[in-house]
Amino acid sequence: MSLELKNITKCYGKKTVLDDLELTLEEGKIYGLVGRNGAGKTTMLSIASAQNPATKGEVLLSGETIWENQKALDQICFSREIINEANNTTSALKVKEYLRMAGMLFPYWDKEMADRLVEEFELDEKQKLIKLSKGMQSMVTIIVALASKAKYTFLDEPAAGLDVVARENFYRILLDEYSESGRTFVISTHIIEEASDVFEEVLFLNKGKIMLKENTEELLSRCIHVSGRAEDVDEIAKGKKAFHPEKIGRSKGITLMLDKGEAFDKEGKDVEVSPLNLQDIFVALCGKEEKL
Amino acid sequence: MKEILTQEKSIYIQIAEMIENDILRDVILEEERAPSTNELAKLYVINPATAAKGINLLVDKGILYKKRGVGMFVESGAKERIKEGRKAEFYERFVKSLLKEAKSLGIGKAELIHMIEEER
Repeated sequence: MSLELKNITKCYGKKTVLDDLELTLEEGKIYGLVGRNGAGKTTMLSIASAQNPATKGEVLLSGETIWENQKALDQICFSREIINEANNTTSALKVKEYLRMAGMLFPYWDKEMADRLVEEFELDEKQKLIKLSKGMQSMVTIIVALASKAKYTFLDEPAAGLDVVARENFYRILLDEYSESGRTFVISTHIIEEASDVFEEVLFLNKGKIMLKENTEELLSRCIHVSGRAEDVDEIAKGKKAFHPEKIGRSKGITLMLDKGEAFDKEGKDVEVSPLNLQDIFVALCGKEEKL
Repeated sequence: MKEILTQEKSIYIQIAEMIENDILRDVILEEERAPSTNELAKLYVINPATAAKGINLLVDKGILYKKRGVGMFVESGAKERIKEGRKAEFYERFVKSLLKEAKSLGIGKAELIHMIEEER
C-alpha cells in the first residue's frame, strides 16, 4: 500500500501554495515534514486526507483516488489543530465529546487507548476545548491521531505548545505505537532537532514543492560543514553543491552536500570538517545556493 | 546503557558502540540477551529502523546473533572481538589526531613520548 500525491497544485485565489507537487508515502514509516511558515505543510496534509480539494492533480491510495472514496478514507487520519475561535462549533465541545465524535468518525477507533492517553496526559475530560491551553489542545489532537488507528496518520505540529517533558513523552508514545502497529505517520514540526532521530525519512517542503525526500541518516551522512582558509575551502567546494557560506576575514565556512555515495576528500588541505544536524541542513538549504 | 547521543556521529553507530561498551564492562554478558530494537528505540527516542541498523552492524561484526523468536544475543568471544576491533580503531582515531594536534602546537616526538611516560 502506498499513498501517492500526483501533480498536486493548490491555488488560493492568485496565490499558488502547492505547485505540481509529487510525493509517494510508503507504508510503515515515520516521516518528518519540515518547511518554513506558509510553505504549505497544512495544505498538503489536508489535501492528502481529502479534507481539502486540490486545484489540480490527485491523491491515490493503492492506485485508487481517495476523493469521495470512503474505503480509502477509512485508512487516513489527519488530526487537525483545534481552531480556537469563539464561533467555532467544535471549540465549544468538551474533551469527552470531541473524542466521542472522533470515535464515530474513525472505524478503527481504539477507545481504550484514547482513555489511557487522556489519563497519561492528565487531561480533564469535562473541560471545554476552548478552555484548554495550547499544549493541552495539542494533546487532544495527538490522542485523536493515535487512537484513530488509521494506516496513514498525519499530525500537524503536534509538539506545538507542549513542554519539553510532554514532547519527549509524545515521541515515546508515538514510537511505541509505531513499533507495535507499523502504521505510517507524517509529522510536521518546527522543533526539528529533537525529533530528527524519530524520523526515518524527512520531507523538506519549500516553495510549494517537495525539495527533498530522503532517509534522515543518509542525508545527515552526506552533509558536512567545512571551514578553514577561504582559498582552501573554495577549492574543496568547487564543483560541489555548496550552501550558506559564512566569511570572517580570511576564514570561510560552508555547508556541502555530497552526492549519494560520494566520499569526501580534503584534497590534502588543512580544513576543519564537522557534521551537521538536521536543523543546520534545513537552514542551509533554505538559504541561497552559492554560485562558485 | 543510556549514554547521551551526540550529533558528532551517526546514531546507529553510537547505538552499536554503546552496546559494545556494555559488553566490555560486563553489563551484558556473553550468551546473554541484548536489548531489542524496540527497547532501544523507546529508550533513546529514535526510529526503530535506526536502532535496527545499529544492531545489524553488530551482527555483521559477529558480536550479536539472532535467536529466532527470542531476540538478539551476545556471541561467545564477543568481548575479545570488540577489544581487537577497538585496538585497530585506536590508531586511526586517537594516535593520528594526537600527532596532528601535537604537530600544530610544535610538540616534538621526544616531548610527546616524555608526556606519555610522565602520565600515570
